[in-house]
Formats: sequence, C-alpha cells, structure tokens
Amino acid sequence: MITVSGLTKEYGGRTVVDRVSFELEPGTVTGFLGPNGAGKSTTMRMITGLVPASSGTATVAGRPYTSLPNPGAVMGTLLDAAAVHPGRTGRTHLRLLAATIGVPATRVDEVLELVDLTAAGGRRIGGYSLGMRQRLGIAAALLADPPVLMFDEPANGLDPEGIRWMRDLLRGHAARGGTVLLSSHLLGEVEHTVDRLLVIGSGRIVADGPIGELLAGDGTAVRAADPASFETALSQAGLEVHHRDGDVLVVPGAGPERIGALAAAGGHALIDLRPSEQGLEELFFQLTDAR
Amino acid sequence: MSTTLAPAVVPAAGSTARRTGPSLPGLIGLEIRKSLSTRSGRSVAALAVLVGPLGVLLATMTSGGGVVAAMALGIMGMLIALVLLALGVLSTAGEWTHRSVQTTYLLVPQRGRVLAAKAVAMALLGLVLAALGVGAAVGALALFTSGVSWFAAGQAVVAVIASGAAFAVIGAGIGAAVGNSAAALTGTYLTLLGILPVLNSVEPEVAAKLDPASAIVTLAQHGAATTPIAVIAGWVVVSTVAGVLVTRRRAVA
Repeated sequence: MITVSGLTKEYGGRTVVDRVSFELEPGTVTGFLGPNGAGKSTTMRMITGLVPASSGTATVAGRPYTSLPNPGAVMGTLLDAAAVHPGRTGRTHLRLLAATIGVPATRVDEVLELVDLTAAGGRRIGGYSLGMRQRLGIAAALLADPPVLMFDEPANGLDPEGIRWMRDLLRGHAARGGTVLLSSHLLGEVEHTVDRLLVIGSGRIVADGPIGELLAGDGTAVRAADPASFETALSQAGLEVHHRDGDVLVVPGAGPERIGALAAAGGHALIDLRPSEQGLEELFFQLTDAR
Repeated sequence: MSTTLAPAVVPAAGSTARRTGPSLPGLIGLEIRKSLSTRSGRSVAALAVLVGPLGVLLATMTSGGGVVAAMALGIMGMLIALVLLALGVLSTAGEWTHRSVQTTYLLVPQRGRVLAAKAVAMALLGLVLAALGVGAAVGALALFTSGVSWFAAGQAVVAVIASGAAFAVIGAGIGAAVGNSAAALTGTYLTLLGILPVLNSVEPEVAAKLDPASAIVTLAQHGAATTPIAVIAGWVVVSTVAGVLVTRRRAVA
C-alpha cells in the first residue's frame, strides 16, 4: 500500500534522506526507527507531499499521495499532534475535517468516544494536554476508517493505558487488513507492536526485515544449575561463552541442539535453553551507532 | 485526566467517505467556517461590522453635524477594509503560524485549489461584512447625525463593499506569502499606515498610484475611479500571485 523508491531529500547540499526505499504490505505494522535527525519525519512528510522530494518517488495505494482523489479516505496521518488551531474546540476541529473528507458528522462523535475525548470535545484545544492532543490527532486519522495509517511518534504524552490501547488499535487495524507505518522512540513499545522493522540512520535504511529475524541471534542462551561447571564444559568443547544478566551463558555459533547434547553428555542440569535473541535497544544502537 | 479508552476496534465507517475530494464550493464553505470557528476570526468579523457605525457616532459627537455622507462613508470604509485585511491574513498566515496548514494540505494537497477557495471565501466574507458594516454606518448617520449631505452616498456604499472584499483577498494573499500572522499584519499595517502616508506627504502623485487605503476614500467621494480601482486591483493581483507562488514551493515542516 505504501511504496517508496529512492526517496532523497537534500537541503543546501546536505543529504538528510538518502535513497530510501521500502514497500509496506497490507496486514502489517511496520516500525520506523532511527535517532533524532535520522530522517524519519522528513521521509514521512515526503510520502505525503508536504515536503517536496529532491528525487525518488512515493506512492500510496498505487498513486502519489497528492494525486489521490480524497487522500484522507486512503491514509490517516498523524505527523504532529500540536499542528492544530488552539482556538477551536476538539469537536469543531474534527467536524471541519469530517466535512473535508466527506464523512458524516456523526462519525465525529464516534471517534471522540473511541479516544475518550467526548467530555473534552467542547473545550478549546489550547487547553488540552499533549496526550489529549495525540488522541485528537489519532481520532482525526481514523475519521474515514482509512486502509493505511501513518503515525509519527503517536505515543508521546500517552499514559501507559493509552499506549496499550494504541498498540491494540494498530494491531487490530493490521488484523483487519490495514497497513500501518509507525515511528516511535519507545523501543519497548515498538518491539511489542510491529511485525517489521525499518531502521534509518543518517538518512539511509540500515535494516529492513521482520522483527523476529532482525532480533534473532546466531547462538544459544542457556542457564545451568551449575553455571561455572557447564561453562568449563562448553569451553573444553571449543565454544566461546559470554555472560548475560548474571547466570545466563550465551554461546555464539552453536545451536540449542548442540548445547543440549553437550549438557546431556556431561550430566549438566539445565534450567533454560533457547536460541539467543538480542533486545531491540541493543540492535538499535548497534545499527545506528555504527553509522 | 483519567483515560478510559474504548476497545481498540475501530468501528468501520462503511465506506461513507466521499470517493473524491471536496468540490470548490464545498471548499469555499469550509474556509468560511474555518474563519468563523475561532474567537479571533469572530472578533475581527464583529469589529469589521461595528467599526463603521462606531466611527460615525464618534465623528458626530466631535463635529456636531454637517457631514458629507460620501466622505464619512469613505473613511469608515477604509477602516472596515483595514479590519477585513486582518481577517484575510488570519485565514492563511494563521494556519502557518499554528501549523494547522499541515492538516489542510494533508486532506487537500492541491495548494492552488485551497488558496483559490480561501480567496473566494474571503471575498464573500468581505462583501457580506463590509455590506453589514457600511449599512450600519449609513443607519448611524441617518439616525444620529444632523445635516447630512447624501450626495453620491450610493457610490460610496458600493465602493466600500467592493473594497472590503478586495482587502480581505489582499490579506489572504499577503498572509499566504509571508506565512506568519504577526509578521504579515505588522508589515502590512506599517506599509499602509506608516510608509505610504509619509510618501503621500512628499510625493503625493506617486502615493496615489500605490496607496490602496486612500484609494477607497477617493473612490467613495465620487472622484476619478480609474486610478483607485487600478491601485486596489494591483494589490489584489500582486498579493494573490505572491501567495500562490510562495505557498506552492514552501515545505510544510
């Protein structure tokens, strides 16, 4: 539903987004990660045509966003929750958007209810907290129940319950066949929400793939009843051993089958045996620090 | 605020959204609603209606009567137009200042179309508000001022209404070009109320070809119409073209 090909943005000779390409399929939630200034927001703005690209193309549902007949009905976008007129009430703001997209005014009350802003709908947005503005932005994106959602840092200002709700919302949207692109600094939240990761560093895509594959290591994490004795056994077998979280032994380059066989042969009791995985935070810093 | 969010299953809108974007008349209506949906917009609109009659009452109290309607309406018309200029500026620059322009161009990415709708919306609002304002000013003259000369008052009324519409459009164009409400308002009023009057005192013939505010007074007083109309039309064209050109190239950050 979203296809980005060679998207590049240059500001005065400085390349802030460099030949970014990816394709997002329906039924998936894709996390878009990168440090501040890596080019996430600029890429999202180029997809929507708000920022003109220096080169490359981006299409949504097969067309450039700016050529969609009614773009709000195809992609719900939340780029900046603060980008609203503070003098309007939340309900008036949504009614104006509903009239622009062409959805009935009754839908405004539905989405206000959905984001728990019914009571605050008659208040001026200037008096809203950041979390309330985020929820108003999410409500605006959902007005037409579009097949594609693109949210830039939607969890900012949300409380833990709100974050969990948003995760369920995005997962539910993908489960119904929708396409979701989500950028966030909350790595733990992303890890639990997305199917696929796009990591951008210094304007370039440095990782792109299913989250399970990207986080999977090439070794085994094992806990033994007698860690010191088992570590000696592993070393004698010619394996390299690292320590993690106290008594967890990480053995790169050896699968759980081989480690289990070694434990059985030596009579070592194991408490836990699994393929090693790295955390998203570890992967994030590994990919982005290296650039 | 405690949060009690509904289960995150989005109720399907059942494809109730339009297949196409809003029509131009629909977009114009939306821009009018936008302008009147904020306190600042409503305040400026109310001031545009009230400044005429209030000015007439003030002039009556200080002069005591013997007023030429065309001149009084011309001066009130200039005040109305200057207020409507602010309404136009807020309709475009206000969106850049508050960054709500992002939502506007996300939903209707054709920037020229949006600006055309804003220009027409401002022209319509300007016409209506200037008509109400000048109508109230005529009423105040008739009711509270003695010895009024009504010669050419009809032309003055027409000139004020047309100028009000033109100034609202000029404001929209300047606001779109500058992209910041405070800068657009300060710069424009400084030019109209500071620089051009000074120019008028040293080079009146040049000022007459540049000053749209004094052009309203000239038009209203049954003076030569060609130059004042050309001056106001020139401001409309230049500000609108500048607004379109700058807005089309400006990135929405």
